[in-house]
Amino acid sequence: MAIRELKVCLLGDTGVGKSSIVCRFVQDHFDHNISPTIGASFLTKTVPSGSELHKFLIWDTAGQERFHSLAPMYYRGSAAAVIVYDITKLDSFQTLKKWVKELKEHGPEDIVVAIAGNKNDLGDIREVPMKEAKEFAESIAAIFIETSARNAVNVEELFQKISKQIPPLDNPDVESTESFKLTRQPAASTRRCC
Amino acid sequence: MAAEDLPSEFDVVLVGTGLTESVVAAACARVGQRVLHLDTRTYYASKWASFTLNALLTWIDERQSPSDEVQDWSGLLQDGEEPICLSNADSASIRNVQVFCFARSAGDAEKAGPEPPRPLEAAGGKKMTFAHLLKEGRRFNIDLVSKLMYARGSLVDLLIKSNVSRYAEFKNVTRVLTYRHGNVEQVPCSRADVFASRRLSMVEKRKLMRFLASCVEEKEEEELEGELAEFLRDQQLGDNLQHFLLHSIAMVTEDTPTRDGLASTRHFLRCLGCYGNTPFLFPVYGLGEIPQCFCRMCAVFGGVYCLRHPVSCLLLDKTANRCTALIDGRGQRIASSHFVLEEGCFYVKTLPRLSSCRSISRGVLITNRSILPGDQHQVSVVTIPSLEVGLPAVRMVELSPSTMTCAPGTYLVHLTCQSQLGSAYEDLWPVVTRMFNTAQSCDQDSRPDVLWCFYFNMDDGGAGAESDGDRLPSNVYVCSGPDAELGHERAIKQAEAIFRKIVPDQDFCPPAPNPEDILYDADDPEDPANTMDKRDKDEEPAELQEQQLQVEE
Repeated sequence: MAIRELKVCLLGDTGVGKSSIVCRFVQDHFDHNISPTIGASFLTKTVPSGSELHKFLIWDTAGQERFHSLAPMYYRGSAAAVIVYDITKLDSFQTLKKWVKELKEHGPEDIVVAIAGNKNDLGDIREVPMKEAKEFAESIAAIFIETSARNAVNVEELFQKISKQIPPLDNPDVESTESFKLTRQPAASTRRCC
Repeated sequence: MAAEDLPSEFDVVLVGTGLTESVVAAACARVGQRVLHLDTRTYYASKWASFTLNALLTWIDERQSPSDEVQDWSGLLQDGEEPICLSNADSASIRNVQVFCFARSAGDAEKAGPEPPRPLEAAGGKKMTFAHLLKEGRRFNIDLVSKLMYARGSLVDLLIKSNVSRYAEFKNVTRVLTYRHGNVEQVPCSRADVFASRRLSMVEKRKLMRFLASCVEEKEEEELEGELAEFLRDQQLGDNLQHFLLHSIAMVTEDTPTRDGLASTRHFLRCLGCYGNTPFLFPVYGLGEIPQCFCRMCAVFGGVYCLRHPVSCLLLDKTANRCTALIDGRGQRIASSHFVLEEGCFYVKTLPRLSSCRSISRGVLITNRSILPGDQHQVSVVTIPSLEVGLPAVRMVELSPSTMTCAPGTYLVHLTCQSQLGSAYEDLWPVVTRMFNTAQSCDQDSRPDVLWCFYFNMDDGGAGAESDGDRLPSNVYVCSGPDAELGHERAIKQAEAIFRKIVPDQDFCPPAPNPEDILYDADDPEDPANTMDKRDKDEEPAELQEQQLQVEE
């Protein structure tokens, strides 16, 4: 089966549980003490999708969102973006629109957008009604789901939904012009200069 | 939402997010220093930034109204402290900005060119208007600095060594071209090119191959007196080969000493064949990505980032000749052990600039086709020797849409030279009118049309002497801006030197652990990356955090 690498970037205010969602998805693990600023630069997980394997490269904000200083390079080449808010913090939902705008400005045009209302295990102190969030998501044609990274609710489903929305590769022959990553160089014996 | 206060104590505070500052930030955070990285601007990469077309137009408009209000924070001073005021104005180092538009205007018109606008044919036969360029504006990533990355240069080495390379993708520069006798010609530089060349005779091919092979070996010192141009003449290579070797391979001028010329020829040859058939790489989305990649690495290791953050002054403890803190534009006192600032933060009275006497002339053109049509995905570097006495030699980089720096159907052309005549327009206009079709030249030929162009001068960061820093307190370091060279050697060298002063006993940018690497390297215990990761795990708390989050499939 062909493996397709898909970059996914996470957005949302500090403390809504972006890192926790990834951590749950990739490692099926929840850590109460994730440092708010230090995260992995990206994590990967491969899931089957139809006739393909989707390898998600999930980029964390690395805390650069804290003072509204995310770099445009963060969005480059993303197939999907997950915008996270905290259902117990109305503020984090209010700023969702700001993240959508940010994505419109800097993100690729054909990006798949998913909105995740996290911490739905804390329903008793909920501040954001599900209906309102769902309607907003529909208005911007985004995927919507409420998750709980802590209780492993809907995290797998979030990424399955994203997988389904990724358009199939229309032209696999464009490889010839493709850009590449720099890696440790092969031994000097491969030199072919004159 | 009320803005959150910054933490008030760090090990290293940096102001400016240019390449040098960003490398220092990443290197320091990587070895556990607490880093605060500020920029007064709204965007990353300072003078190394790239802009969409729309953002560039806004930037051009806004820089005409610089604001630099001085506030009095004397109440925040402690005993024995004296303020060193810092500048937030970005305008002084970029001058002579001139914009011309030759694309047809449509509807809600804009800046018109000096000549009446007229329709232009874009590739695909569609008419390209300025409105169309604006509509596609976000597809442009227009760099203020035009450089290339040598495949074995210090920037590429550092990107790979530190694993920062994982944040970006690259393209090969596919052609080295030159301008001779009014024509654009391809310079054969790899073995394959040499043998495929139809311009070179069999004899020339053999001579060139023999000469290049002999260059790879180091020469005895005494053979190398004199100038490269003369040395090449003595080799009896003929006009063609002399031109190629001098201007396009050594990339030097007639009066460069032989020793330096041969050293740069060797560097060129050493970089060939690593990734493609030219020695150069270019980052997808433009050079402005590279500082951002180092900033991300810094953030991953706990660095705190804050753009649009004005700074007010540094506080100097006169008896110790050290700075104790930075006062920001809001009057917050931020204590730190080290301060790294871009040159532009200092007023000239604090840090006299040798560099201001030399500047780089830059031109940026949006054109409708390549200067040497061929495969549409070409990325070319063009060396243009001085057209006539008194005019500078110009370096041109032509980027195709495959680099994600310009819209489909357009090309982005960067021109760079050492300023000779005063303004970038004066330095570069002769080259532009000869090689391109503008509203001012007649359109009888196949030269590409210029749709829009932009000229400016920038201080040459390579002109200042390294000893400038002597006038500053011992824990304050200055990063000079971009220089006129093609490569990035100076910026990387300066970043490493600053890092060594801040943390003398630590490794410079050791590889960051990568989940992929750990899995991939598992069966190869010899790999240095792998052993490095293991060692780091025991040493650094920042590292531990990252390790905890890594995948084990």
